[in-house]
Amino acid sequence: MMHKVQWRRGAGLAATALLGAAALAACGGGDSGDDGALKMVVWGGDLDKETYQARIDLLEAENPDITIDLQLIPSDQYEQKVQTMIAGGDGPDIMQVAENVNSYSSKSQLVPLDEYIESSGLDMEQRFGPVGDLYTYEDQTYAIPDRSGAMIVYYNKDLFDAAGLEYPTAEWTQEDAQAAMEQLTIPGEQWGYGGAGWWAQWWSFAYQNGGQIIDDSGRPAVNSPEVVAALQWANDLTHVHHVVPTAAEYADMGPDMGGDPAFAAGTVAMNTTGFWAIGGLIESDINWGIAPMWSGEQQAVSAFGSGLAVTRDSENPEQAFEAIDFLTDVEAQTVIIDKAQDVPANLEVQQSDAFLNPEWAPEGLDMGAFGESSEFIFRAPFIPEWNEMMATFDDNLGTFWNEGGDAKTELDKIQAQLESIIE
Amino acid sequence: MSNVVVDEAPGAARETRGAGRRRPKMSGRRKKEALYFWLFISPWLIGFVGFLLGPMIASVYISLTEWDSFTPPEWVGLENYSRALTEDPIFWKALGNTFYFAAISVPLGLVVGVWLANLLNKRVRGRKLFRTFIYLPTLVPLVATAMVFKMVLAPSGPFNDLLGWFGIDGPQWLLSATWIKPALIILSVWGAGGATVLLLSAMNGIPRELYEAAEIDGASPWRQFWSVTFPQITPVIFFNLIMGLIGAFQIFSQVYILAPNNNVGGPDNASQMMVTLLFQEAFSFYHFGYASAIAWLLFIVILLFTVIAFRTARKWVFYETEVR
Amino acid sequence: MAVASQTPDHAVAAAKGRRADRDPKGGLSAFKASPATYAVLLIVSAMFFVPFVLMVSISLASDQTSAQNAFTVLPTEFEWGNFAEVFTATGLPVGRFVLNSVLIATLSAVGQVLSSSLVGYAFARLRAPGKGVMFMIVLATMMIPAQITMIPQFLLFKELGWVNTYLPLIVPNFFTNAFNVFLVRQFVSRISGELDEAAQMDGLGYFGVYRRIILPMMWPILTAIAIFTLTAAWGDFMGPLIYLNSEESMPLALGLQYMTSTSNAMQLPPWNLVMVGSILLTVPMIAIYYLGQKYLYEMNLQGGSAGVK
Repeated sequence: MMHKVQWRRGAGLAATALLGAAALAACGGGDSGDDGALKMVVWGGDLDKETYQARIDLLEAENPDITIDLQLIPSDQYEQKVQTMIAGGDGPDIMQVAENVNSYSSKSQLVPLDEYIESSGLDMEQRFGPVGDLYTYEDQTYAIPDRSGAMIVYYNKDLFDAAGLEYPTAEWTQEDAQAAMEQLTIPGEQWGYGGAGWWAQWWSFAYQNGGQIIDDSGRPAVNSPEVVAALQWANDLTHVHHVVPTAAEYADMGPDMGGDPAFAAGTVAMNTTGFWAIGGLIESDINWGIAPMWSGEQQAVSAFGSGLAVTRDSENPEQAFEAIDFLTDVEAQTVIIDKAQDVPANLEVQQSDAFLNPEWAPEGLDMGAFGESSEFIFRAPFIPEWNEMMATFDDNLGTFWNEGGDAKTELDKIQAQLESIIE
Repeated sequence: MSNVVVDEAPGAARETRGAGRRRPKMSGRRKKEALYFWLFISPWLIGFVGFLLGPMIASVYISLTEWDSFTPPEWVGLENYSRALTEDPIFWKALGNTFYFAAISVPLGLVVGVWLANLLNKRVRGRKLFRTFIYLPTLVPLVATAMVFKMVLAPSGPFNDLLGWFGIDGPQWLLSATWIKPALIILSVWGAGGATVLLLSAMNGIPRELYEAAEIDGASPWRQFWSVTFPQITPVIFFNLIMGLIGAFQIFSQVYILAPNNNVGGPDNASQMMVTLLFQEAFSFYHFGYASAIAWLLFIVILLFTVIAFRTARKWVFYETEVR
Repeated sequence: MAVASQTPDHAVAAAKGRRADRDPKGGLSAFKASPATYAVLLIVSAMFFVPFVLMVSISLASDQTSAQNAFTVLPTEFEWGNFAEVFTATGLPVGRFVLNSVLIATLSAVGQVLSSSLVGYAFARLRAPGKGVMFMIVLATMMIPAQITMIPQFLLFKELGWVNTYLPLIVPNFFTNAFNVFLVRQFVSRISGELDEAAQMDGLGYFGVYRRIILPMMWPILTAIAIFTLTAAWGDFMGPLIYLNSEESMPLALGLQYMTSTSNAMQLPPWNLVMVGSILLTVPMIAIYYLGQKYLYEMNLQGGSAGVK
């Protein structure tokens, strides 16, 4: 220990110095809203940040009057952070939105973009195809699609070869899929499939059966026989057929383990998820391929995507829209695929050689699977109460997924709760 | 050790002095002293009014409205309160879970804390090191704790391996509606070392003479703990109890980070606590009015328990002044 | 800014006196450490230590192991390069994070030490009508869930123009908190009043007594408060998450949160680097605790916690 008096004098000096530094930092870190720069918030990780920034750099290079401050927020804190910003009157100009877009638009937090779309001459249908009107609420457009791709089947070629099986195709039925999973499973060691516990996965089965989560009149319809059968099948794959690792088996593989990392580790032979798994798989040792989702009574698969929206707080919505327009156009969208981040929403890019034969793709990767899938994507219900709906599923299905159970019982409960949540 | 002070007269030492000579002609001085008192506490007072009271009043108002934090609030009177108390099954479940957690983790944490403090209070070689180890869990950042505990509490993880040595077939902990709360309690006991700081500090201050006297009476170390150490530290135990209760009722971070797949409710809402529910209502569902009402109901619950604790304290908390 | 620039002689004497009659435990059976004591302490320490070992083990794992989540409790790989990589490979300004953390934590601690010593002194020594009520309010404020005031507080700081500065994280510390006021009050209550009396006879005012007599004797409690505040501010990520927007201004605890965030919830973060970050976050706290524990255990709280009676 230093001598007390000395220590104190030192502490005093240090404190003075630090106070000065804090004052400086406070000035330097001041609000960026004043310099005319647009604030844009997105969620995700490293790769996302890099990709968005590269696109913004392109934008700024070609539009010297626009500057954008990009802010990346960790995915699980995104909503809270954005909400605090908006509530505090310090909302971003441009924000990334996805399934819960209408919890913002229904509370008039987003600027309807139709006017801007019209005056800029942007043809949504032409640029984005069927997803062009994805972010429409009560006949107004609230976001421009930015990333959009179907869920696809990833399969481990080596494990398929070892089991003497043909690779998956869009022609597979649910029965074909289950038969393959059974042959690919080595109890306690290897599993045929990564599981379907996520809404995007088991909802796909429900729509394949002809069911709906929210019916055409906007009422919940989760306890219909079609949805019940889908959920039961998804769960039975784990607890009856044992071709999917149980929650306990996943937990034993490591914290936060699930289908994606288990597939990358070669522990499960098939996995259904979005484009993003590719980034990790390129660097993995396994020999993998992709295919469109199998079908049930009919073909159906969920899609993931996100759009860019302009918030109420934006002081320059016109310029914000201009920026979004550029970011969703061919040049900037090509960056998304070059970086192997996601499927660009822009159709022209999706059909371009840059997408179909990206530099990073391993030999023979069927990038056409995304385009093929886009023909049978079902439209998930982007209701304003999306978050409540998700929580209702999560709350009620916890034990069901972990330990098995009767889908009908659970879905009856969920149906009743959803009816009270969705007005 | 005679300058121990009770609530009514902090600074009793000065009071006795004042009582002797100066009290009669002190009113001018008193005024000045009072002025200085307010001056000295002004940092706290300003902070209290500015950063706490103001926001609290705002929060009372919000709790009487329906507010999504974006559009102007809409006055609904006591509807949020009645909804929580009569209509929302999850509110009662969360309250029950919170009780369960508090009822076990607080006493358990205290027992472990006192026990460890007593061990550390002995003349142990390497005491500083042991103290550091036991305090360590409170220093590890939450992100790391979460990840590490997910591994430790995995169905075939190290903790169940340990139980296996004793022939116990460990449960699935975080994945099970029954065991997720015990898992949270284990995590809280792991942090019980934090309480040893205050307890040890209190034990350090116990005068040696008390032990010498007990020694002469032939009391065993165990006996001495109960007749000397324990009564002397009851005020600090009581303080830890109050802080522990408050902390346990406000449990949030542990649930938030340990819940499987970031679903704070846990399987079948088994780990839904008051504050996680509040958080979810506010930041996922944008029901700010309702969330504020939950917060105030929670405040009332905590207040109630604190009052009960104070009531019972008369029976077991030992203040030297009372025997003086 | 110096809290006290000189140490009065009598305080030194008092400190020395305390030191002289230290080790009050010699020869008493209550303090005898039996082999069982050691055994229990060893086992408990090990249990408390194992997760930390696991942390170290993960931090030394290769990227390969990390991607597959194939960690072991004891380290089997020793990728020391991870400790350099964390500053470069994460795409985040980790070095800057550390500096920010130091700045925020230090200033918070300075604020708490200054303010809690003033307020605690007043509650312990000065008499005024309404003091009892004030102290009850101090205690009651501990019961308020932080979430209750989160949004209104945010709106307030927004009005003040403090959003995206360190001020909302630092300034409230200069207005102290209930817990620290309580600790100081308890501590000061146990200091003999004779010194104050003598000093007042010498013509020292209330501030003089605080500054020259009480403050120099408060070191154990103030060090404890500094440690508590440092630890809390150092590990806090909720506050920075809400108030800071630019990456360069973030502290390490929040940066670590960013490191665990991946493009998708189902992907795995680079656990090995996250754990390196965690170790960077933990080790300074361990060091401070280890060096400061002497003071922590001299808070002298025994018997006097009358405030909660």
